[in-house]
Amino acid sequence: MALTLGIVNMIPAITKAQTPSDAIMMEGKRICVAGLYGSDKWDRYWEGTLLRTNGNVTPFTRNTYGLMLAGGITTKLNILVSVPYVHTSSSGGYFKDAKGLQDFGAWLKAEVLKSHLGSGDFTTHAVVGFTTPMSNYLSDYAPFSLGLGAPEAQGRLILQYLLDMGIYARVTGAFLARGTTKIERDYYYADTGYYSDKVDVPNATDFTGTLGCWFFDRKLKVESTYENFNTVKGHDIRRQDAGFPSNKMEASSIGLHAQYFPAGGFGVLANYSQVFAGRNVGKSSGFLVGVTYQFGISKS
Amino acid sequence: MKSHNSIFILIIISLLFIASCTEDVPQYVSYPVYSWTNTDATGGNWKPILLSSNEQIAIPDPTDVSSAEYKTELAALKATTAAVTASQKASVEYWSNNPIIRWNEISRQLSAKYNLAPAPNADGSYPAPSSATPDKYPLFPFAHPPYSCRAFAYLATAQFDALIACWHYKYKFNRPEPGVTDASIAQLFPKSNLPSYPSDGAVIAAVSRDILSAMFPLEKDFLAKKADECINAFLWSGANVQSDIDAGKTLGAEVAKVFLARAKTDGMGAAQTPKAISDSLKTLAQNTFGWSWSNLETPPRPVGITPYFGKVKTWAVTNIVDVRPPAPPKPGSAEFNAAADELKQRLDNITEDQRKIANFWSDGLGTYTPPGHWNRFACNELIQYKLNPLRSARTLAYLNMAEMDAGIACWDAKYYYHYPRPIQTIPGFKTILGTPNFPSYTSGHSTFSAAAADVLSHFFPSENGLFNAYAREAAESRSYGGIHYRFDIEAGLDTGKKVAVYVVNLAKADGGE
Repeated sequence: MALTLGIVNMIPAITKAQTPSDAIMMEGKRICVAGLYGSDKWDRYWEGTLLRTNGNVTPFTRNTYGLMLAGGITTKLNILVSVPYVHTSSSGGYFKDAKGLQDFGAWLKAEVLKSHLGSGDFTTHAVVGFTTPMSNYLSDYAPFSLGLGAPEAQGRLILQYLLDMGIYARVTGAFLARGTTKIERDYYYADTGYYSDKVDVPNATDFTGTLGCWFFDRKLKVESTYENFNTVKGHDIRRQDAGFPSNKMEASSIGLHAQYFPAGGFGVLANYSQVFAGRNVGKSSGFLVGVTYQFGISKS
Repeated sequence: MKSHNSIFILIIISLLFIASCTEDVPQYVSYPVYSWTNTDATGGNWKPILLSSNEQIAIPDPTDVSSAEYKTELAALKATTAAVTASQKASVEYWSNNPIIRWNEISRQLSAKYNLAPAPNADGSYPAPSSATPDKYPLFPFAHPPYSCRAFAYLATAQFDALIACWHYKYKFNRPEPGVTDASIAQLFPKSNLPSYPSDGAVIAAVSRDILSAMFPLEKDFLAKKADECINAFLWSGANVQSDIDAGKTLGAEVAKVFLARAKTDGMGAAQTPKAISDSLKTLAQNTFGWSWSNLETPPRPVGITPYFGKVKTWAVTNIVDVRPPAPPKPGSAEFNAAADELKQRLDNITEDQRKIANFWSDGLGTYTPPGHWNRFACNELIQYKLNPLRSARTLAYLNMAEMDAGIACWDAKYYYHYPRPIQTIPGFKTILGTPNFPSYTSGHSTFSAAAADVLSHFFPSENGLFNAYAREAAESRSYGGIHYRFDIEAGLDTGKKVAVYVVNLAKADGGE
C-alpha cells in the first residue's frame, strides 16, 4: 500500500504582516497574536517524478490550526514563535488519521539594511530560526505523518524593493539544515538498508519571489508568490513504496495572499496556494485564513 | 545594530555547523572478528538435510604441504598477505571468519529491497512479476513473506549441507592452516586449528552466491561481486591458499545445484495461482463456512499473495493438515464480537508504547519480513555465543526450515479458512498498519514468531525467556496495528509451536547436539 509524504514546507505564516519570509517589521514593544486555520488537499502525488493516483490514501486532507506570536524587541529586531496543531486524514482507504501538535518554531528577524533608493525603499532582512517537534508523532507514517519529525535550523535572507506608490517586489532565499528523525523500527530500506532507527532528513533550500501592492492607505496588501522548495539530496519513492522522511522532495507552487488591517489593531488574512510541480510530494492545493490582533505592551 | 549583527553572525555560523554534521547511519551490523568457542571437529559426520552423504560431492585430493606445488601456493599467499592494504583489511574484518552472518544479512537486504507489491495499471488491473522476464516491471521477485522465508530456507540449508561436506573433507585431508606450515604468513583471523582444505569461506561464498542468484536473478552481478570479495577476504587474511579456495568454490557451487533442483519442484512455481483458482478457494470457503475474505485495496487486487503456498513442499512437517488450527469463530458470534470489540478499543485508545510495538514488528512491505527479523535475532546470538560457521549454519538451517514450514502451515490455514480481515468485518474500522493482501486467519507474524522462538530456544536455551517475549510481542503487535483478531494471533502462535516440534526433532537426530 503506497503512501507518500504530503507537502512539507509549511510554516503556515503570519501575524500582522509578519512571517519569517516577508519584509515587515513590528515596532519595538508591540506584540501581535494570530489564530490561523489552513487546509490543503491532494488526490495525486509524485512517486519520484511520476504523478499518480492512489485510492488507498486519497482524497488526502491536512488541516492545520496555528497560533503565532510576533513581538518587536526593537523596531529592527523581531521575534516570532509558532505552535501548529495538525490533523491528517484520507477519506479513501483504511488508514487511521493522525493528529497532534506538530513542530514548535521560533525565529529572530532583523532588518540589516534599509535605504531610500530612487522612488522607493530597498530593505534587506535576515531571519534565523529553528523548528522542533512538540509531540512524539511518528514521522514514519507517510502520508499521514504530521511532519518530518526532525529539528530544523533555518537561515533566510529577504530582499525587497517597495515603491512609494505601494508596489513591491521581494525575493527570499533560505537554507534549512535538518537533523535526523527517530522512527519506531531499527532497520529500514531507503536507497539501501540501514540498521538504525535514525533517519537522516535531507537539508533543503527554499526560494520565493513575490510581487505585491498595498492599497487603501496601506490597509490592504495583495500579493502573489512563486515558491520553490528543494531538498539537496534524498532518494525517490520506489514504485508502489511508501514515502519516507529521507526522500528527495521538491515542490514548486504559486500562491495568492491578501491581508487587510481595518482600524483597532485587528487584521485578517487569506492565502491560497497550489503546487504545480513536484517530486515525492502531494500535488496539493490549499488555503489558509487567519485573524490577527496587535497591541503595545508599554506606553511610548 | 552592531550587537544584532554579531548575534546573527554567530547564529549563521552555528547553522552552517549543524548543516555540516550529517550523522552516519550504519548500513550493516558491525561485529568484531571473534574466536570460535570450538571448531566442531566431528561436524563432518552430522546428517545433511538433502545430501545423501558427506561425500556426495567429490573434490580432488589436496597436494601435500611438503610438495613443490603447495610451496608455490604458499609463496604466492605470503606475497599477497604481505601486501594487504587498509581497505583489504577492512574487507577482511567485514566478512570475518564467519561469513555466514554476512550472507544472512545480504539475503535480508535483498528481501527488503524486493518486497514491494506491483503498482496498478492505469485501467485498474495489476501486472504480475515473472521469473521469465525478471527485469520487466514489476520486477521479479516480489519478496513477500512466503517468498522470503523460502529464500532464507534454501540459503541456510544449502550452506549447512555444504559446510558439513566441507568439514568432513577438512578433517579427512587435514591440511593445516597456511600459518602453521609457514609461521611468517600473517594470519588476520584468530587461530582456530581448523584444517584449511577446502576453504570454508569459499564454500560459503559460492553456495550463497548461487542460491541467492537463483532467488534474486537481477542481483546476479552484485552477488558475484560479493562472493569474490568474500573469497578474497580469506586470501588476504592468510586463512587459505588458492587450492583451498578452488576446492571450496567447487563444493559450494555443486551443493547449491542440489538445493536448487529441490526448489524447482517444491511447488512454489504454482503458488501464485491464476484468478480462477483463487476465486474457487473463496467460493469453497463461502460455501463451507459462510464467510470469505476480500481484498479491499483501491483498485482491488484480483488474487491474494500465493494462495497455494500452503501446498509447497515442507522440510519437517510431515502432513500440513496435522498442524491446521480449528475453524475460527463465525463473524457475529460472541467470541467474534469480543475480538472485534478488543480491536476497536485498542485502536481508539492506542498508546505510544503500543504504536511503537506495532511499528517495531511491522515487517511489512519494503522490509525483510518477520522471518528476516528472526534471522537478525539469530545472527546476534551466533555472534554472542561465538559460534563457528558450521554451527552457525546449522542454527540458521533449522530456524529457516521452521520459518518456511510455519509459512506453509499458516498459508494453508489462510486460504483454507479464507477468513475476512478486521477492515472487512468491522464497519468504519481503520488501522495504523497496512492490511496485507491475504486472508486473516491465522496471523503470519504469530506463526513465524512462535516457530522461531521455540527453535532458537532449543539452540540457545538460556535465551528462552527473551525469545518467547519477542514472539508474544510480535504476535500482539498485529492487534495494535489493527490487522488481526485475537483468535488469529492465538491460533498462529499455537501452530508455530507445533511446527517447531517437528523441526527440533530433526535437529535432535542430526548428530550435532
